[in-house]
Amino acid sequence: MALIFVIDDEYLLATLLGDILEDEGHEVVLAPNGRVALERVRERRPALVITDFMMPVMTGLEFAQALQADAEIGPIPVILVSGAQGALAREHPELFHAVLDKPYDNARLIDEVEKALGQRNGGDAER
Amino acid sequence: MRGTSRLTSGVDGLDQILDGGFIEGASYIILGQPGAGKTILSNQIAFNHVAQGGRVLYVTLLSESHEHLFQALDSMRFFDRSRLGREIIYVSVFQTLRDQGLGELVKLLRKETKRHQATLLVFDGLLNARDRAATDFDVKSFVAEVQGQAAFVGCTVLFLTSSSSSEVSPEHTMVDGVIELTDSIAGLRSIRQLQVRKSRGSRALDGLHKFEITTGGIITYPRLESLPPSRGADVAGQKLSTGLGPLDEILGGGLAAGSVTLIGGPTGSGKTSLGLHFLSRSGPAEPGLHFGFFEAPGQLRQKAAALGIGLPADDGGLTIERTPLAENLVDKLAHRLISQVRALGARRLFLDGLGGFERASVHPARLPEFFATLMDRLRAEGVTTVATWEMRDLLGGQVRLPYNDISATLDNLILLRQVEEDHALVRSISIQKVRSSGFDPAARALKISDRGLIIGDPLSLGAGSPSSR
Repeated sequence: MALIFVIDDEYLLATLLGDILEDEGHEVVLAPNGRVALERVRERRPALVITDFMMPVMTGLEFAQALQADAEIGPIPVILVSGAQGALAREHPELFHAVLDKPYDNARLIDEVEKALGQRNGGDAER
Repeated sequence: MRGTSRLTSGVDGLDQILDGGFIEGASYIILGQPGAGKTILSNQIAFNHVAQGGRVLYVTLLSESHEHLFQALDSMRFFDRSRLGREIIYVSVFQTLRDQGLGELVKLLRKETKRHQATLLVFDGLLNARDRAATDFDVKSFVAEVQGQAAFVGCTVLFLTSSSSSEVSPEHTMVDGVIELTDSIAGLRSIRQLQVRKSRGSRALDGLHKFEITTGGIITYPRLESLPPSRGADVAGQKLSTGLGPLDEILGGGLAAGSVTLIGGPTGSGKTSLGLHFLSRSGPAEPGLHFGFFEAPGQLRQKAAALGIGLPADDGGLTIERTPLAENLVDKLAHRLISQVRALGARRLFLDGLGGFERASVHPARLPEFFATLMDRLRAEGVTTVATWEMRDLLGGQVRLPYNDISATLDNLILLRQVEEDHALVRSISIQKVRSSGFDPAARALKISDRGLIIGDPLSLGAGSPSSR
């Protein structure tokens, strides 16, 4: 249904989340850090980005800030999933559609994903 | 650049084992099978470093998720969630290694260390790095490069690996130190031990040291015999009363201050009673400590009361400690005993009995050296020690001491014996040895009454006397 990017340095977690989203019918692209993700976002324009916080090269917060600074890709919604930095992320509600704490409930995540996708005009994401 | 200043581990006993701690800017391998304690150890060191103002970069490859690790560490007192993502960050670099190889991984580590201004780098997954390497040379280069760039910025490195030291591992030649953690079975018990297998530029305490994992993290107990020798205390010349006037006379005036006296005898012969007399002379000016394995404090006080022996109150200069005879660690017991003696400034110590240490021992062959070292350390504290040893034979004149060479380390030896004479139990007390003083060697009758121990007349040769040599 939609193209979703998952950014997480922890490979096992990223693939696990990717599988869950693919089961929901979405196409998933993984990235190991924010800088790689930014390059690919500019190329492929996902409908949604789900990102971790604590990562090498660029944190999830830095990624969201860089994303929003770019007018072309700024509108793409970002969901942050974090173990310890949830509170820090919530101080920036303008950057994140939602902030989920790890470990998260899969059903709740899927719910937030659908909400985020639904908020884009028309429901179905553009490619 | 690497200097000789130290990064302290914050782990009890470990900095002593490492002769001050890790060398700042140096690199170490922490080796151990899964479950041995590497993760807890490295996190404990990391959080201690953060508490002292350091910054940590904790790098994993393919391992349990970071959140899972945090949940496990939540129960540890050193873990502080508020530091995550600030002074300590955890990142996984598996994908970089998988997609781009060791060379890129080295660069990433350099950039991340700089970006985060890390002063401690923990790299968990050296074994994985080896899997990815084409040859041993690649791993050696990897370690050398990471080590070099970390040293350049003064960052200390801990490489964690699951390989065992028995495997030939080329990277061991590159690092400055190798610490191995093991978890083995001794009899029915599990014993955790730590060994510094290599220590460049620092004189670590060699051999195996036991450790435990608690909610406070890891606590190590440096092997007593491996510690540098202690200086003697300056208590020469003074004598302490045993609490029994007649016994003081027989001993030539009392017990030499700082000496170690062993009371040997079968069960019921009066060893504890004698110890209680000794402790009855404790007070605020001469603090006493009872370190025992058998009687609880309440029971001991009851016994003293039944014997008519007055003991100071708990806040009046006498501390009663009891360690159950469960699965103990001798070094832990020794360290605790010495710390307590030191903390209390104890002048009178009653150790009831040495058998408690013996039962706790996993390697009985070291006991003679262990006891000798323990006694030296107690002497160095200036405390006068009276220790009991239970002989197995209930009746009879035979004397069997614990270990052939232990008598050489004792200063004084008192024997309590029991023989049957005309269907009556005859108790006796005799002095076998008093170092550097004259004494009366005759065996004397001993009675246990409600007025304490009563020493009677010398017994005739035969039953109750020392057996012929």
